[in-house]
Amino acid sequence: MKKTNNSLIRREGVQTLLASLLCILGGFLIGFLVLLIIEPKGAFEAISVILKNFFKFSSGRSQLKYLGQTLVRTAPLLMCSLSVLFAYKVGMFNIGAAGQYVAGACAALFFSLYFKAPWWVCILVAMAAGAFLGAISGALKTYCNVNVVISGIMLNWIMLYITNMVLSTDGVKNPMSPYTIQIRGNNPQGLLPQLGLQSLFSNEKSVTIAIPLAILMAIAVWVVLNKTKFGYELRATGHNFHAAKYSGMKERRNIILTMAISGALAGMGAALLYLTGIEEWETTISSVPAMGFNGIAVAFLGGLSPIGSILSAFFIQHITLGGSYVDTTYYCAQISSLISSLIIFLCAFVGFFRYAIQSHLRKKDEAKLTKADAVKGGTDV
Amino acid sequence: MILLLQYTLLFASVLMLVALGGCFSERSGVINIGLEGIMTVGALGGALVMKFLPVEAGGAPLMILATIVASAAAGMLFSLLLAVAAINFKADQTITGTAMNMLATAAATVLVKAMNTAASGGSDVSSDIIYTRARDTFIVRLGNFEFNWFMLVALIALIISYIVLYKMRFGLRLRACGEHPQAADSVGISVYKMRYAGVLISGLLGGIGGIVYITAGVSSWKFENGVAGFGFLALAVMIFGQWKPIKIALAALLFGFFRALGNVYTGFDLLKNLNLPSQIYNMLPYIISLIVLALTSKNSLAPKAEGIPYDKGSR
Amino acid sequence: MEQYAVEMLHITKRFPGIIANDDITLQLKKGEIHALLGENGAGKSTLMSVLFGLYEPEEGEIRINGKPARIKNPNDANDLGIGMVHQHFKLVECFSVLDNIILGVEPVDSLSFLRKKRAREKVMEMSRKWGLHVNPDALISDVTVGMQQRTEILKMLYRENDILIFDEPTAVLTPQEIDELMQIMKNLAAEGKSILFISHKLNEIMAVADRCSVLRKGKYIGTVNIADTTKAELSRMMVGRDVKFAVDKEEARIGGEVLKVEHMTVASKQHANDAVKDVSFTVRQGEIVCIAGIDGNGQSELVYGLTGLESLKSGTITLCGKNITKAPIRRRSRFGMSHIPEDRHKHGLVLDYSLEDNMVLQRYFEPEFTNSAGFLKRKAIRSYAERLIEQYDVRSGQGPITMARSMSGGNQQKAIVAREIDKGPELLVAVQPTRGLDVGAIEYIHQQIVAQRDAGKAVLLVSLELDEVMNVSDRILVMYEGEIVGEFDPKQVTVEELGLYMAGAKRMEVEA
Repeated sequence: MKKTNNSLIRREGVQTLLASLLCILGGFLIGFLVLLIIEPKGAFEAISVILKNFFKFSSGRSQLKYLGQTLVRTAPLLMCSLSVLFAYKVGMFNIGAAGQYVAGACAALFFSLYFKAPWWVCILVAMAAGAFLGAISGALKTYCNVNVVISGIMLNWIMLYITNMVLSTDGVKNPMSPYTIQIRGNNPQGLLPQLGLQSLFSNEKSVTIAIPLAILMAIAVWVVLNKTKFGYELRATGHNFHAAKYSGMKERRNIILTMAISGALAGMGAALLYLTGIEEWETTISSVPAMGFNGIAVAFLGGLSPIGSILSAFFIQHITLGGSYVDTTYYCAQISSLISSLIIFLCAFVGFFRYAIQSHLRKKDEAKLTKADAVKGGTDV
Repeated sequence: MILLLQYTLLFASVLMLVALGGCFSERSGVINIGLEGIMTVGALGGALVMKFLPVEAGGAPLMILATIVASAAAGMLFSLLLAVAAINFKADQTITGTAMNMLATAAATVLVKAMNTAASGGSDVSSDIIYTRARDTFIVRLGNFEFNWFMLVALIALIISYIVLYKMRFGLRLRACGEHPQAADSVGISVYKMRYAGVLISGLLGGIGGIVYITAGVSSWKFENGVAGFGFLALAVMIFGQWKPIKIALAALLFGFFRALGNVYTGFDLLKNLNLPSQIYNMLPYIISLIVLALTSKNSLAPKAEGIPYDKGSR
Repeated sequence: MEQYAVEMLHITKRFPGIIANDDITLQLKKGEIHALLGENGAGKSTLMSVLFGLYEPEEGEIRINGKPARIKNPNDANDLGIGMVHQHFKLVECFSVLDNIILGVEPVDSLSFLRKKRAREKVMEMSRKWGLHVNPDALISDVTVGMQQRTEILKMLYRENDILIFDEPTAVLTPQEIDELMQIMKNLAAEGKSILFISHKLNEIMAVADRCSVLRKGKYIGTVNIADTTKAELSRMMVGRDVKFAVDKEEARIGGEVLKVEHMTVASKQHANDAVKDVSFTVRQGEIVCIAGIDGNGQSELVYGLTGLESLKSGTITLCGKNITKAPIRRRSRFGMSHIPEDRHKHGLVLDYSLEDNMVLQRYFEPEFTNSAGFLKRKAIRSYAERLIEQYDVRSGQGPITMARSMSGGNQQKAIVAREIDKGPELLVAVQPTRGLDVGAIEYIHQQIVAQRDAGKAVLLVSLELDEVMNVSDRILVMYEGEIVGEFDPKQVTVEELGLYMAGAKRMEVEA
């Protein structure tokens, strides 16, 4: 084929973006329909509240403050999506990110509350815990041929119960409630430092270095995957396990290492949430926190690119928090989870969307070619 | 002891139903990670019937039948999401399944909350459905043992599954589609239709499994929790059972036993004296399935073509 | 009575950027064996897909038994009595032979329960009648390739097809099984079945066919009576020019020993028996040693053991004087072993990597391409890839940034050959390097291999094609059931003789 014109839509990135936007649009459309069915009166209002999130506040000051809050919760979500996409680039679907996130929460909170460790130690042990769990999945895959998805699911539940158990220890759990005690009052040096960042967000006290840290990690993941020898090996292993082996890469080690790194990213995500002191762990919780699963949504919505993940993580968190402002006389906050799960469902069709775009383009090209042929009077192959 | 037996049988019934459902889907070539979601939606369908159908209307038989039909229908309807995505659009089956699980919980929560809110005029914003009276119709007391009609349903499902898969034309064709869809296609079998059938059957059985699960031990259910990982456990049962009905039944009994232990361990002095946290019993089935998988997965007996979208064009 | 069973008249089928079938006419007489000859990519499989309703042609007409037919899917073809034995068998491995035969046309009672007894009787009767021996209860995964093929033939006969198509049926068979198949085909034709035999093997066409139609690059070249033609003419029609069956090469100048394999044994993944049993041989500088044999006699495993893809059960391998028995793959590569793998898509390329990234697949970690901090030197990779593309004439849409997946098979293989040869190996292991390529690419790759030998390198060639074995090699080792059963000088042995060894009918003691 001759050189095709290089219009914007032919770029892979643009196609991905277009597909992601289609997913979002579809998710909201269906979500809107659901709202209409429940109660037509407030549906439009509710959707706009979700989309507005902090913009609903009139003063710039509060907008900044709540933007800060959104960003604080974006950081762990971004980490989880990095975890998912890192593993995916190497050919594994890390549904275990949810459990690795729980492992991170367990380690970070336990070290912070029981040992009164400083924040950076807590982050490191959270990463180690996540990495350990990820490595188990990786090892089970390479040595026992257990599907990563299956082992991930099992480990999610195992880790949930272990965490509930560990964090019920005296001195960690609040004896009066099912929650862990607060870091703020018990181990001030366990809180992530703010370095003055709060001043950018109307002194929102939950704003910490978690936000820049997460963004730095996203950039680091991008660099490692695309610019280094290590990333070259990992992606080769993901695309074609056999070719990686053939060229002498240590394909088994790479898989375990990938899962460990992936786990560490998810574990760090948990630390970045719990070490801000805005949330405590509920030791009677009976389902795996959704953060890890949402990470899957974010990773795919972001077109499996670390940079795309930054945007999509913010967006998903934006609508999730927006959901909490919905008028509860008709609806509930879970409308947002409904919409984000619809979006991830649609993300499964991204491949199809892109295929549709491409085949449309190809048809256009063909039509052009045939015309050109007709002018030339037919061509040979 | 009788309590242990009763719970074992009940949980085994759930696991058997759902795992058999998964078996049909995967035998046709579609990985069904969304069983958890299918269970949730099936449970919701059944619970709504139990809540709104007056027990007096037709007594126990009608209640049981209506509940089963509603769960099965809800499950099938929901499983269509997987069928359309995986078969027609060739979407990644793992992502689709994961999304379905999230979707089911979110949708069920939104729906039940909206219902409760509307019914109570805003005072009840919980995601609970209560079905105490209806639940009693499922149970026949035989001395201390509470026989549940669903145990029979599970047994029948097992027998029918075995016959359909191995003794009937449909089963032969279904299995061919999961192993070598190109071969099936070349002899005139519609792979798409077979896969639709497989996924829909998984919806049917998964849906029934959902209602059995939430009525197993309690008289109300909080839908925010989905079905608390039981669909995933069923997945493990299916793999452990090597995609074969009889082995699935045995695996379901084993896993059901460990799960039941978590419910009733306080009734045994020996276990009670061990003084283990209840969490240990909760995670036991998962740990066991992980170990079993680690030991048995070397030579996987999974259908060869599962997870691979079938494209008529490529051959 | 109508003379033709199948007529495909003036068929044209276009794909984006290519005309796969350009005005092709094929007429199959009743009761004849008609060969369809063409290189890979000549349009044979497209034409068959049209016949089976998988593609709709833009122009042309199909007639079956004289009547115009509209074939929209394989079922229509089946209803018209057309059956096909595919090159890659369409059999469900974990089903029994019987289940595979009845699949799709199962005998059932009114409740659609399977009634296999009747089917079994019918199959056994057909099996006796045609001499197609099968064990109906054995699983496909447990039976020989020959029996799998007989199962495929029975599938067609069970459906009472009259028009039988065999797509490259001999590639997987031993010479004896090939003879058997030829006889079966003749019997079937004698009973009035019409047979279309798709092949690129001239000897077999000469042996069994009545007439032969030739395609080249999507175009119809002509139809000839086999009785009135020669191999040379057929090959000229297929390729479009005279083909030299011999490869030009000088006398071998043999030097020192490069590879020494002693008592190598490799376990099998499928069977309890070892795939490679106590094999010993050497390869010296300046010679091409060829391992010949029927597919599945341990050649692949021998290569896996040699290159490190699998570990040995016992034995030693010495490369240039160094013991590499337990060395990992990368160390073997750095000691001077290059490997053109059997399956270029499975092992040879990362299809979703660009051409340039594939070009450095064996060398990306060297200081030339990676700096001390672990970052890739993109510029160096680009210029290296550009040099190889230029030097080895690898053609692609966008040069170094072309995705490997989008390249043609011949150019993919050229890229691998370039990468492996440019590494400057002492030993080149080439496994079926010309499989699935057209004649031009085959000649090119043969030239490159011979050039390596003439430069004093050692070459180990594994091939299933007897022509290649005879023309390229300096020494032939025949493998049968995991053992080396014969060693020959290609100038002093006939193809027939080799065939006997390949089939296990004869063997000699071979000294390493």
